[in-house]
Amino acid sequence: MKGLKSRQLPLTIGLILATIFVVLPLGSAAEFSLREPLKNTHGFDNYVWFFEAPDFAKYLGISFGLALASALILLVILVPTVVWLNLGGSKFRGLVEFISLLPLVIPVVALAIGAQTALPDFAQTNEVILAFMYAVLAVPYAYRTMDTGLRSIPLQTIVEAARGLGADWLAVLFKVIIPVIRSTVLSALFMTLALSLGEFTITSLLHWDTFTTWVTTMSQSNILGAIALSVFSLVSVFVLLLVISVFIKPTKSLIISEEN
Amino acid sequence: MTTPEVTNLDRKGAPIWGTLIGQLLKALLALAPLLVFMSIFFFAPLTAVVLDSFQGNDGNFTWANYADVFKEPIITAMRTSLALALVSAIVSAIPGAVLAFLIESRGSDRLRQVVASISGVLANTGGVPLAFMFIASLGAEGAATSLLKAIGLDIYSAGFSLFTFGGLVLVYTYFQIPMMVIVFSPAIHGLRKEWNEAARTLGASGRQFWFSVGIPLLFPSFLSALLLLFASAFSAYATARAMTNGTIALVPLMIGNLLDGNVIFDEVNLAKALAVAMIVVTLLAMVPYLIIQRRAQRWQG
Repeated sequence: MKGLKSRQLPLTIGLILATIFVVLPLGSAAEFSLREPLKNTHGFDNYVWFFEAPDFAKYLGISFGLALASALILLVILVPTVVWLNLGGSKFRGLVEFISLLPLVIPVVALAIGAQTALPDFAQTNEVILAFMYAVLAVPYAYRTMDTGLRSIPLQTIVEAARGLGADWLAVLFKVIIPVIRSTVLSALFMTLALSLGEFTITSLLHWDTFTTWVTTMSQSNILGAIALSVFSLVSVFVLLLVISVFIKPTKSLIISEEN
Repeated sequence: MTTPEVTNLDRKGAPIWGTLIGQLLKALLALAPLLVFMSIFFFAPLTAVVLDSFQGNDGNFTWANYADVFKEPIITAMRTSLALALVSAIVSAIPGAVLAFLIESRGSDRLRQVVASISGVLANTGGVPLAFMFIASLGAEGAATSLLKAIGLDIYSAGFSLFTFGGLVLVYTYFQIPMMVIVFSPAIHGLRKEWNEAARTLGASGRQFWFSVGIPLLFPSFLSALLLLFASAFSAYATARAMTNGTIALVPLMIGNLLDGNVIFDEVNLAKALAVAMIVVTLLAMVPYLIIQRRAQRWQG
């Protein structure tokens, strides 16, 4: 028992420090956002202010729509690739890994300038283009999450078992592959949502308005209100994360761990 | 019938999908969505920037757009951007690696999953919300500032300010440390349990295993994660813009300003040349990354 405790002590200390590091700025901002300097008290005035702001719902709607669209785009693009890589296409893993890493390192500013000139006309005049650009930026995170998740599942063995038992490819796809990779895909989608909801660089350089740029504009007129908005957006992402993680159960029974 | 031991790696002798050509076709088909998508929305825009940066207003080839890149004030901004990227990468990589190591080696599956999701969110915080969080905690009126003052540490009279190079580094760690956890964890996960067991069986202590096997094996992955952090900090725009308001000159901000201002053709061209300069820097950082990854793949499954 004593051995176990001393083994867990460094992890506990690390997690406590990490929590302080994450919570201190967020908590301070939350305290700030509740200040009511005119009445010299704390209250929810700043939150009421932005909820009642005329454009609040509009921009929140735009951002959520774009985030959902980019998550869908990534689903269509990445799932076939990652499933195939884990079904015997591992020769190409290096290439795919490299391509999927590039959006993380190539400056977003450079991509934004290029998007202004190189994208097709229909894309220039429709804000749906942002969904595609967010999807590009989310590729490194989503690919990594999906590939790591799928590698821990013996996908090939499961698929061969299903084929051996007489399932056709459609049945394999819908009754075997999709249920098995669901939790992994969900966490990748979540990461895409989080990125899209907070994206600022491409949005502002392409001169579109979303929730993020709206917060930036609002911060010029009402700092406390904008802080309240920032806290609201971060906290709601974390709440969303908690809700989703309740649905994501690790597919434990299917994971043949290396220890066995 | 396959035997239970068959893994992806043992497949060479038994191709399930027929001929080489068939395999290539399958590969193209499976990779097509990603490749087409990336070509349209990523490679085409970047190619356009590179080509346009060599074009004058009349559409002819010219080097002129690059004339200003190596002059003041751009050269100073380039130096500051490089220093900021390097310092913030190093400062974030070390605690990030330690945290990733503790979680991977001692945490439960559930904890690893939770940390991965939270890191994903934190790695993507930035811009005005992140700036506010730090101003609220470590600004002149911030909660942490007054807390430190109460215990006798007046950081502002000691010369601290959020709106300096050091302050910006501190703010960057908020998304860089979680990013380190994301990119470094798979390497620790890939350290095979069998090697630890083998070392233990041969009489090595846990400490001996880490110092003579674990850390030497992980060091290349640490370096490549560091290069990724460098590239991402070098490119960061939203946070830098929200924090500095022009007090610190950085290349991404210069590009943004050139584009935001009233459009003068020369300025757009200069912005494109600057963007190409940034792409070159990040690609240069990727060369050692690729070499290191190739070596690391020898032992990573």
